[in-house]
Amino acid sequence: MKRICLAILFAGAFVSFAEPLKIELPPETSSFKFGPGSEIANGQCLTCHSVEYVSTQPVMPRAFWAASVKKMQEKYGAPVPADQVDALADYLTQNYGTNGTTATNMQSKLVANDGPSVAMKYGCLSCHNVATKIVGPAYKDIADKYRTDATAKAKVEEQIQKGGSGKWGPVLMPPFPQITAAETKLLTDWILGQK
Amino acid sequence: MSSNHRLESPRVSRRNFLRNSALAGAFGLFTVPGTARLNAENTVLPFPNGERPLVKYPQKRPLIRLTARPPQLETPFSVFNEGVITPNDAFFVRYHLSEIPTEIDGDAFRVEIKGKVNAPLTLSVAGLKNQFEPVEIVAVNQCSGNSRGFFTPRVGGGQLGNGAMGNAKWKGVRLKDLLNKAGVATGAKQVLFNGLDKPVGEKTPDFVKALDVDQALDGEVMIAYEMNGEPLPMLNGFPIRLVVPGHFGTYWVKHLNEITVVDESFSGFWMNPAYRIPDNEGACVEPGTVPAKTKPIARFNVRSFITSLADGDRVSSGRETVVKGIAFDGGHGIREVLFSEDGGRNWREAELGKDLGKFSFREWTIPFAPKQAGVRELKVRATNRIGQTQPLEALWNPAGYMRNVIETVKINVA
Repeated sequence: MKRICLAILFAGAFVSFAEPLKIELPPETSSFKFGPGSEIANGQCLTCHSVEYVSTQPVMPRAFWAASVKKMQEKYGAPVPADQVDALADYLTQNYGTNGTTATNMQSKLVANDGPSVAMKYGCLSCHNVATKIVGPAYKDIADKYRTDATAKAKVEEQIQKGGSGKWGPVLMPPFPQITAAETKLLTDWILGQK
Repeated sequence: MSSNHRLESPRVSRRNFLRNSALAGAFGLFTVPGTARLNAENTVLPFPNGERPLVKYPQKRPLIRLTARPPQLETPFSVFNEGVITPNDAFFVRYHLSEIPTEIDGDAFRVEIKGKVNAPLTLSVAGLKNQFEPVEIVAVNQCSGNSRGFFTPRVGGGQLGNGAMGNAKWKGVRLKDLLNKAGVATGAKQVLFNGLDKPVGEKTPDFVKALDVDQALDGEVMIAYEMNGEPLPMLNGFPIRLVVPGHFGTYWVKHLNEITVVDESFSGFWMNPAYRIPDNEGACVEPGTVPAKTKPIARFNVRSFITSLADGDRVSSGRETVVKGIAFDGGHGIREVLFSEDGGRNWREAELGKDLGKFSFREWTIPFAPKQAGVRELKVRATNRIGQTQPLEALWNPAGYMRNVIETVKINVA
């Protein structure tokens, strides 16, 4: 009885879908960087997801990538052969993580004793290039801007430690308090020394 | 599995694409499957490694593509300044598993209500529309990891800006009415929700979410068949999805075809260990540490945004303009929005716009007439009706969920 009443109550609400809904997805456009181990990434990772799952991650150390491979194996059931696990973590670290770190865990031993190695260690170069604007300004342009500014060093050091102020456009740089005072000095001198 | 829908097989589609490309090359043509624009424009989200293509998907305008397979698309932030309702073609998309439906016969589609019920049901969309009282609600859907890219220190996961949220008018039926019709058996503890999307790997856990029976019967959770007056777009869950007002999008299961009542606490991967937050007031831990105890993510915390101005915008001094934005919370409703034009030293109360319900974006406006030139930090802070507000400093958790720091927009007054 109740069913009939309801049917009467909402009579007229029924609308049929004219025809099945069908969509066509745009193609994938990105691929893994070529290099030692890329054949493992192509063979394993791409079975279940596209490259951006890797390529959009922040610059992370090997421990992050090793944990990610482990998670894919243990939680998502990815059949990565045991003898390829380290090589895959190395490939991901080398190409999408903190550069130059390998299975021997170079990261903890990496001595940043000049400007370029500090920039490498903290992933500065994923947003900055020496000569060309990428996300952030080119180091050469920063040097040019502050060429005649007596307080340039203090300003750039503060920028590195505390992050962006919008001087170079809408993209704000995040703060990097983890860069030590000594490393900040090395990095600043190197940036301001660009010609 | 019934035959009224087709799942995209990524391997085959990739092969087809390659074959199409090769053929096209041979004949000097280039056919693009779907509506993709290969020369898509790029956009840059304001954090390192934030370059993203703008890609047009079916039933969508060009959106910020985070991942292609499965598709994860973010709404360009400027859309939120167009109005408090997010248009369907701009609404964000988030899938977890790569076998997603690309063809569904809406008339043949069925949802089952089964498990610990007295009388299992199988319903068509027409059945939902004809046999149950329709309800409408304006509600925000927000991804748990919205704004994850801004976490400092950075965390792994989908590196989203602020565009994995949207506000729509949902029309459908109460889950409570369906469950009452099926009759929840005594001893039932949770209700599980599953949709048509499937994993590629045999061992990958299917995307299944759980709500406690009490919540499933609260009368607010609904099954929506319309979004802003139209059928749901495919990528937002056609023909029906779960709507859990005030709760993070992880529960809003798309292409919902299985509702199972169980007499235990479900512990599938997507409830545990995935989608969990530190079990404390701020859902936070010291940056870089691991929480001692976790619980499933649930309601939104309070958020507010300036939408009419973006970082780096220029404003003329001495001229009065109106600054506009949105605020929302997990379902108590917004009581007050404060605005600061001096980096948080002084605050003024903004005027709230039309109230579309306690689960909706609430528009706010405030006159702004800067007098001096220079860089200006604008901030916005909302408080809900039970006094919850937003922190001055961002809270941190390892999964990058629930960011709700007071937002800052840096502009140049000239």
